[in-house]
Amino acid sequence: MDQLTHLLEGFQGALTPINLLWLLIGAVLGTAVGVLPGLGSAMAVALLLPVTFSLDPTGAFIMFASIYFGGLFGDSTAGILLNTPGNSSAIATTFEGHRMALSGRAAKALGTSAIGAFIGGTIATTLVVFFSPYLVTLATLFGPAEYFALAVFAFVAISAVVAESVVRGLIALGLGLCLALVGIDSQSGAERFTLGLPAFFDGISIIVITVGLLAIGEVLHVAHRSGADQPASRVVAAGSPFLNWREFRTALPAFLRGTAFGVPFGAIPVGGSEVPTFLAYGTEKKLAQRRADPDFGVRGAIQGVAGPEAAGNATAGTAMGALLALGLPTSATAAMMLAAFQQYGMQPGPLLFERSADLVWPLLASLFIGLVILLIINLPFAAVWAKLLLVPKHYLYAGITVFAALGVYAIASSTTDLWLLLGIGLLGFAMRVYSIPLAPVLIAAILGPLAETTLRQALAVSEGDPAILVSSPITVVLYIVMGLAVAASIVQQLRARRRRATSSA
Amino acid sequence: MSAPETTRGTSAAPATRWWNGRGELGVALGVAVLGVLMLLGTATMDVPEGAGTPGPQFFPTIVGCFMLVLAVALAVGVIRHPRRPGPDEPSELNADMLADLGNVESTTELRIVSGDPDLASRSATPTAPRAAGVRPVLMVVAALAGFILILDPLGWLLSAAALFWVVARALGSTRPLFDIAIALLMSSAVQLAFSAGLGLTLPSGILTGAFSWIN
Repeated sequence: MDQLTHLLEGFQGALTPINLLWLLIGAVLGTAVGVLPGLGSAMAVALLLPVTFSLDPTGAFIMFASIYFGGLFGDSTAGILLNTPGNSSAIATTFEGHRMALSGRAAKALGTSAIGAFIGGTIATTLVVFFSPYLVTLATLFGPAEYFALAVFAFVAISAVVAESVVRGLIALGLGLCLALVGIDSQSGAERFTLGLPAFFDGISIIVITVGLLAIGEVLHVAHRSGADQPASRVVAAGSPFLNWREFRTALPAFLRGTAFGVPFGAIPVGGSEVPTFLAYGTEKKLAQRRADPDFGVRGAIQGVAGPEAAGNATAGTAMGALLALGLPTSATAAMMLAAFQQYGMQPGPLLFERSADLVWPLLASLFIGLVILLIINLPFAAVWAKLLLVPKHYLYAGITVFAALGVYAIASSTTDLWLLLGIGLLGFAMRVYSIPLAPVLIAAILGPLAETTLRQALAVSEGDPAILVSSPITVVLYIVMGLAVAASIVQQLRARRRRATSSA
Repeated sequence: MSAPETTRGTSAAPATRWWNGRGELGVALGVAVLGVLMLLGTATMDVPEGAGTPGPQFFPTIVGCFMLVLAVALAVGVIRHPRRPGPDEPSELNADMLADLGNVESTTELRIVSGDPDLASRSATPTAPRAAGVRPVLMVVAALAGFILILDPLGWLLSAAALFWVVARALGSTRPLFDIAIALLMSSAVQLAFSAGLGLTLPSGILTGAFSWIN
């Protein structure tokens, strides 16, 4: 039980006043960006990356991790009260959550979602702590061919399985790869696609790409739609958010089922928490039908909120595990944290646990503390957070624009970066207008260099023989799982197409 | 990538025009151009002596060809199945798949999944194009471009306040005087917190020396 000793030492490292302060700031910021529509934890981390250059890395990562969790705590508020989920991770919670709100149990729904987020996050983080040594051992077996397979797996999963249309998903992926190729090739020193401009020698910063696509693109998109959106009517969160014992007993199995869906999905790169939250919702719905629950789908059932919320935060827990032990980002926010590690000159993966144990264990310990803090600031005060929804939209997006400009300018005090930000923002706007997903761009821009380096290393070792890419059991298993996922996705799309054809006939 | 925008704005033309719903051909063209540029850039690349095999041109060649294939695939798809003109469709998620996973009913619940308030009416009648859409977008773009130009000469405080003010205005704020106060408050708060607090260098411009906390 080495892990327990490490974890206790980690708590010692995490429980310093300054780290607790970062934790609290992260929790408040995370909840706020979760509650506010149009913002997400990925964007919050990207904007904070440049301004945290000067911080001690442990403090910065503690803050980023609590932003990640906080975003998943706050995201259900808008969905439950307004029926308009601000983030896709909260869609599944919205179905039953808003029904509960309409039947006068808004506070109860908010409380259930906070408790669900806490339980899911805690169980997943505990699993990560105890399984991280095995993950690390597994990761030491990974050579270039295995890492290339992992990167390809992430590319295929995010663009083909999750995105709406395979071609559009792959186009987004290609855009990300193109952006990642700009700059000096690290292996040979060749200038690539820099147009001879020194500003591009270091490549295009992932911060500029993320902030441009997510923040500026979103502001332009909102400007484009302005006037088209109807103001949603808000339900007032009355009553007590606390669950009584009977309610808790009803919700507990749903919490645990949701966590069971979330834990595995956090570790595989399918873009975050959407798939497991929907799986959890579907399961609760089937179970409610089986026991002929009169509330589910009518007044709103507590299980329908509990399951998806627990699933959402459970993915964040295991996503942190996959990021730290394998160096594999499984969601956009995890990808931003990977960029943060690179900013501090660290490479997540097996070596991180050896070389930077003084960072990893306080970070893991701070996840537990962060979850407790988040529960405290969310469970009794969910109705207070909901007041953020009263901020007028034009001030909100004007503020986002200013912070986007600030974050990008802070990278290198260069106006070239700001022009690039505007250009990529326009790209993000065009992608939104033409239904091209954004997440594959980010994953490709971050994993693209890894994919290229490992592919070239593998082929250099084998002297050009591509068979090396499928020469080990791990790679074969990864490609088989990938093939199955693609096959399942094709079957599902054909079914949907047939259903649409029959319904329109 | 922005060229097809015009076809969208003028889609008041009769619905029988061939390019209606095929504005995405512009996207395919953009992707193809990008692929060609990638391949050209790769072919003309200066490869340093002693670069190993596979060298720096290996991966860009794959990506360039990949883009060309995708451009063709998208063009074929758009020509065969033109899309209905309608509100922007959600793109991040495969709504069909999520509906399957969540056992979601197509009537009320799917509306939330797709975020589209008039899902039911859309297939029957194409929605009228929104006239209001283009002007706010241009205002935001102009605000950002102006901000970048005046940032160094005028300093963060004034240019960020101007950026805030114009964007708020573009998005429908109706209280210009009150907004000036909010905008100045916002940009000074940022300057205080990040410049004085976190040691970030923000240009002080013409206000250099006016207040001790600006530098």
